[in-house]
Amino acid sequence: MFVTNEEIAADDSASAEVCVGNELGLHARPAARLAREAQRFACDIALVSGGQQVDAKSILDILTLAAAPGSAMTIRATGRDASLAVRTISELFNTRFGEEK
Amino acid sequence: MARKVLTGIPVSSGIAIGKAFFMNRRLYGSIPRQSIASHLVAGEQDRLRQALAQAARELEAAREQVPAELREHALLIDSHVTIMRDPKLCESACGFIERMRINAEWALLKAVKELEDKFAAIEDEYIRQRIQDVRLVADRVQSKLMGLARELRDIEGRIILMAHDLSPADTVGLEVDKIMAFTTAEGGKTSHTGILARSLQIPSLVGVQELEDEIRDGQFVIIDALKGRILVEPGEDEILEYSLLQNQFELYQKAIIRNCHLPAETIDGYRVQVMANIELFEEVAAVQDHGGEGVGLYRTEYSYMNRMALPDEDELTAEYTSLASILAPAKVVYRTLDLGADKVVSQFGAIDERNPALGLRSIRFCLQHKELFKAQIRAILRASVAGNVAMMYPMISGLRELREANKVLNIAKHELRSEGVPFNEEIPVGIMVELPSAVMTAELLAKEADFFSIGTNDLIQYSLGIDRTNKNVSYLYQPLHPAILRSIKHVVDAAHQSGIEVSLCGEVAADPFCVPILMGMQIDSLSMNPQAIPGIKRIIRQTTMAECKDLLRRVLECRTVNRINKLVMDTIFQRFPEELTFYSSLIESEDLI
Repeated sequence: MFVTNEEIAADDSASAEVCVGNELGLHARPAARLAREAQRFACDIALVSGGQQVDAKSILDILTLAAAPGSAMTIRATGRDASLAVRTISELFNTRFGEEK
Repeated sequence: MARKVLTGIPVSSGIAIGKAFFMNRRLYGSIPRQSIASHLVAGEQDRLRQALAQAARELEAAREQVPAELREHALLIDSHVTIMRDPKLCESACGFIERMRINAEWALLKAVKELEDKFAAIEDEYIRQRIQDVRLVADRVQSKLMGLARELRDIEGRIILMAHDLSPADTVGLEVDKIMAFTTAEGGKTSHTGILARSLQIPSLVGVQELEDEIRDGQFVIIDALKGRILVEPGEDEILEYSLLQNQFELYQKAIIRNCHLPAETIDGYRVQVMANIELFEEVAAVQDHGGEGVGLYRTEYSYMNRMALPDEDELTAEYTSLASILAPAKVVYRTLDLGADKVVSQFGAIDERNPALGLRSIRFCLQHKELFKAQIRAILRASVAGNVAMMYPMISGLRELREANKVLNIAKHELRSEGVPFNEEIPVGIMVELPSAVMTAELLAKEADFFSIGTNDLIQYSLGIDRTNKNVSYLYQPLHPAILRSIKHVVDAAHQSGIEVSLCGEVAADPFCVPILMGMQIDSLSMNPQAIPGIKRIIRQTTMAECKDLLRRVLECRTVNRINKLVMDTIFQRFPEELTFYSSLIESEDLI
């Protein structure tokens, strides 16, 4: 099945464009959730936003992005489970990390 | 001569002589810096990894115990665990160990410092403040690395407990028979440490400057909690002098206890009820031994603290019933849950609030957790058939909150009726007046509440805009500020106009310098720590209502707090010179210090 906004460049790399839907931006709780989820994958995962690239497995890195609500970012993964990682993490963004607002 | 004399704020009077033991220190500033040989780098990195992992495991275990109602706390613990497991934090600190050949503690400090700089540049204030979480996490890991997570139960003999600060949860589980005195670097006159120390009759000093810099574990000290001093490594003459003073103080205490069962009635026949504030069932004996005429404030939150699961309704009913029946026919007033960010911290992880005193606490917390609130109300109602029981809501800001709380009460009553469970249909339900908004609407509240209880600790904090645990502003904590006196008088008058009784249950009620003024306002009852009851009763019995009213009139004519303090100090010292030798007061007069 073809996933919109996701381009599969090679077997071991993937990326997707997402948008921060949480009212407070990418604050402590979503950042913790994102880092924990990212740590479950073997591949390297990066978040790119506003010219900055950070490690998605590090809550501290994610926080320093200070991504405001509505800001766009790219999830970029390299490694053997890259495609699944990008899909899983996009889904987290789309469901606002389980938060209502 | 003592090597050094430190000063602090006395919050529970007495003298103690013995050895210092630190329960916790402010870590910042005391972290060791050591160079290490290159062959020790890997081992040091490993020590750091293990400390991080162990601290994370401990937090995860604590998280498992957090009840579903407190999901927010669990989420906060999650973020702390995630920080501990953050590969960047570990990598960064391990990098410092390798490049600089330094110990793990110093490397972690450097890694946090680097993050502080990064975070300082963030514009979003909320995210910038998350550096606090990083610091909390680092503190936990540091104390693991430094082997500071010591337990009091491991020590032998009695000690003088010292700490940077003691949170309510820290103090609940203490083995008090091992502690001769409490001293903390933080804290003000009405901090929890003081309340606890008074209830246990243990001398206590808070806000002690240089405590952590000047005193080492095991050092010999004298705690003078009459004058507010610590003598570090005292000389033999000082030890002798203080042993005598300690003896005198104990004799005085015994003397006033002898007559504590006489009523608190003035020479001209005005009777005030003197009740006790308590937080533990075990304190009932202290209430009775000190001549308390009942419990004017039972702080119910302690059954909820220092444990992982919330108490259920049956457990609370058993506790409240035993207390009511043992005190009957004397009254016991249960204050419904007064939990907030400052009292849940250690147990459930901090509620993320910048200003806990102004945040989700007390009745606000209960009205957002109605099931928890209703369970407690049901327990109080069920206990109401066992004795003379009343209940009151803390921190009511106006009629809307009172009505909302009463809605929960009515649901609870309705449920019990339909279940056929007996309770006192006429149980008096009062409110605590501790917010300026409640003072201003006292006439309206008096029509819908059965009684008032003025909580002066919070009333002073909110009226004068000071954080009472902040030692930088504790000098502003002035019980006799004209605004406070006018507020109390307004509340008493409004209550009496509606025909309801009014009690006062803050620390002011136990202050011999404040009590005659409160009497002049015709307060109906005073509630205080049990240990203060004998002294206060004795003062009441030696005064007349006529002179109390006269003092009140003169006090209300004063325009400044300094003038009032001076007037009150002069008057009371003249009237009760002997009584006041061993007292400390919340009020201060520069001329007398």
